[in-house]
Amino acid sequence: MENKVKIARVSLDLTQQELAEMVGVTRQTISLIEKGRYNPTLKLCLEICYAVNQTLDEVFWQERKE
Amino acid sequence: MEKIKDERLQLKNLKNIRITFIVQTLGIIGILLYDLINHGMDGMTDNPVWFVFILTGVINAYLSMSISVEHEKTKRSPVTRLYISLGVITLISLLFVTFIALTSGYNVMDGLLVGGIVFVCSVIPAFYMYGLRQKERDE
Repeated sequence: MENKVKIARVSLDLTQQELAEMVGVTRQTISLIEKGRYNPTLKLCLEICYAVNQTLDEVFWQERKE
Repeated sequence: MEKIKDERLQLKNLKNIRITFIVQTLGIIGILLYDLINHGMDGMTDNPVWFVFILTGVINAYLSMSISVEHEKTKRSPVTRLYISLGVITLISLLFVTFIALTSGYNVMDGLLVGGIVFVCSVIPAFYMYGLRQKERDE
């Protein structure tokens, strides 16, 4: 699943490890989310959004693919 | 060992447990087949592993019921369905009683015993399903 987690994280100058600690997961999970290889639960998506001070729309929204 | 909080790892852990369960079940089936071939049906059922196998089977069946209930599409009320189940169960139990009572070497008491066991073993899941359907309705 594509997302803008990496952009949001880098804009705050956070490392994957720091973001992982903020949301209570491992660094590998953040890495897999950024690569679009892990589909996080809504709860984790919200935690990430709270950590990077952005909304779900800004970080995770994507237009429907035709 | 530290408690896993990462949802991805929790999911992975569950998948690992599933693989372990499959291997364990295959092992149990292997042991039972070995017993069946070498010591016959009685030898197999005498093995305590047989009890474990049957118990896990029953637990699995009960747990699967909660999934099938949520998958149902019928609009019929749980009470109606309970009555239908009870009717069918009674009919099947009576058939057991009749056939066993009529079989040579067995009497009516044997028939009633087997019919009673069939009835009780079917009524419990029927009421369990009724409870699940009521709960699902409330949600």
